[in-house]
Amino acid sequence: MIKIGIPRALLYYQYYPMWQTFFEELGAEVVVSPPTTQTVLSEGSSRVVAETCLPTKVFLGHVLSLVKKCDYIFIPAIRSVKSKTYNCSKFLGLPDMTKAVIPESPPILDIDIDVNKGKHELYQAIYKLGRRFTWNPFRVRRASIAAWQANLNYQQLLCNHSLTPPQAIERILDTPGVEPKTHSEYPIPMQATIAIIGHPYLLYDEHINYRLIHRLKQAQNKVLTPEMLTTEELESATARLVGRAKWTCEEEVVGAGGHYLRSGADGVIGITAFGCGPDSLMMDIVQRQAQTMTTPFMSLTLDEHTAEAGIVTRLEAFLDMIYRKKRKRICV
Amino acid sequence: MRIGMPHMGNTYIPFKALFQRLNVDFVLSPISNRRTLSLGVRHSPEGLCIPFKLTLGNLIEATELGADTLLMPSGYGICRLGYYAMTQEQILHDLGYNNIKVIGVGFSEHKLFGLLKIIKQLSNNAPWIRIISAFRIGLTKLNALDKIERVVQKIRAVELVKGTANKLYAKAVKAIDEADDYNTLKKVETGYINQLKQIDKNPQAQPLIVGITGEFYVLLEPFSNLDVENELGKLGVEVRRRLFISGWTKFSLFLNSLGINEMAKIHKAALPYLKRDIGGDGWESVGEKVLHAKEYDGLIHLAPFTCMPEIVAQNIMPSTKENIPVLTILCDEQTTKTGMLTRLEAFVDLLERKRRARHNNRY
Repeated sequence: MIKIGIPRALLYYQYYPMWQTFFEELGAEVVVSPPTTQTVLSEGSSRVVAETCLPTKVFLGHVLSLVKKCDYIFIPAIRSVKSKTYNCSKFLGLPDMTKAVIPESPPILDIDIDVNKGKHELYQAIYKLGRRFTWNPFRVRRASIAAWQANLNYQQLLCNHSLTPPQAIERILDTPGVEPKTHSEYPIPMQATIAIIGHPYLLYDEHINYRLIHRLKQAQNKVLTPEMLTTEELESATARLVGRAKWTCEEEVVGAGGHYLRSGADGVIGITAFGCGPDSLMMDIVQRQAQTMTTPFMSLTLDEHTAEAGIVTRLEAFLDMIYRKKRKRICV
Repeated sequence: MRIGMPHMGNTYIPFKALFQRLNVDFVLSPISNRRTLSLGVRHSPEGLCIPFKLTLGNLIEATELGADTLLMPSGYGICRLGYYAMTQEQILHDLGYNNIKVIGVGFSEHKLFGLLKIIKQLSNNAPWIRIISAFRIGLTKLNALDKIERVVQKIRAVELVKGTANKLYAKAVKAIDEADDYNTLKKVETGYINQLKQIDKNPQAQPLIVGITGEFYVLLEPFSNLDVENELGKLGVEVRRRLFISGWTKFSLFLNSLGINEMAKIHKAALPYLKRDIGGDGWESVGEKVLHAKEYDGLIHLAPFTCMPEIVAQNIMPSTKENIPVLTILCDEQTTKTGMLTRLEAFVDLLERKRRARHNNRY
């Protein structure tokens, strides 16, 4: 059976159930790289120039860990998933960049996703990808329909059950991981509601953000993430802040930020990677909005030099500030 | 309405001519300098690239001089640029300039007619005939400037007394700025080109040829790249640059809509290494390395710090089969002239040694 490798990085968190269904329907086996570790990160960063952003380095590390473990590696080049949007160059150049910096990698399966070019081009691209497994166009069609359904189910699961992507993927795969215990068994009231905004590949990669979500939960805070919002909520919040979204991944930052700032989160934490092009503008928009609404906002920039102690100190200070603000409000 | 716009090399000259002919009040902000940069840096989000910071500085300086309508290049599908006009307007409002309007001008999006329409709006509905004649003189000035610059690039490398060409070039730029009709313009152009060609040359000079490629703005704004072309000229290197604003305008406004793409050859060369357009000038940077590997002695790749397409290009470049030394220079507010000069000198030394080795092998 053909083995397809999927790196556990970047768009994995958004589309993994869809990709898995697609390839399995076509009779391939899917191999996912293990979670990020320090070795993955440092091997990934050793291959590229220093200015490359952290998520890309992590991604390349995952590709390296898949070398010799699969026959193909699936790396899509996603330009747009909505009309008139555009994606960061690093996503577009990802297949070519991987080929250039990891010459020993297995052959790369790439697919151009660009809805601006019209449905026909999109279907052609999917068929071209499926043709590597079967000559039968109807089988490719069946696989894509099943994949799309899997994607819809996945989004439903995220939105309705307030699960994080790794939890939802675990539930779909039916392999419940060891859920780190929080104190939620005890009936202690929640201290505050904290919203975290940013791209899924930063929020849910526990190695690079030092288990931020877990830490917040452990401190008895309710954590809100962009995936918990419906598409309509995200879109209307984006429209309020910037008009029409211009980036493919804009809604999870600007939309979620705009929504949570307004819907009464006690504080918002924005997570960006150092040198992230789109984020440098989008986080700025959210930060400006937070300033006018006087909601506490903290911007955390991650790179491979980020240290655990630094993150913890900043997090504690931020939480203390929010608690004090809340107490004051209650007293008055 | 008083119009201001950011600087990029000498582009202010054609725009000044255009707006003067249409009787539009055009505010010429100071040429980019240290103050522009520090103003821009102070008010920009930290992760943005130097083109954003410098143009913001220009816009702030234009506003200080009384401009209220600012033009800013923009467009869909080209890296972060599409967002700049909006963000800069927001920043200016936050600084207290509440009545400022920043108009995003998408050259490749609006095409020629869209651009002319914007000019018509700005000029209070001037008749089309006047707009077109003003547009034409602007283009002629642009062409004249670039023609002279091409000659200067060649002469700088071989002139006997360093700096002569630069002095003449400065005079030529001034003369073109002041010229008001086609005849004078033509006379200025040929006159200065002749003068440049008569500069005393070093008969023994065999200049190295170095291509220069990379991101649009840092290539064309000498302040942002610390005048790298001039410094190379001083080291006796002939600089070759594909990108000239006049050529770019010609293609993006006229010929591209007819289906002629000047970049097709470059894209084809890049194809084995980079299959798709990644926004900005990343595709072209890779293509130029492949295309000119035989022709040039070395290549200088200029990119602003945190530029997304150029980082991808920078990662792909070392893997090409066509081998040619590449020096990547990242430009941002921290780049210093001494640091850059040291790197340039080392690079030129390396190229010279390579050429000598090639020469010795031949005999």
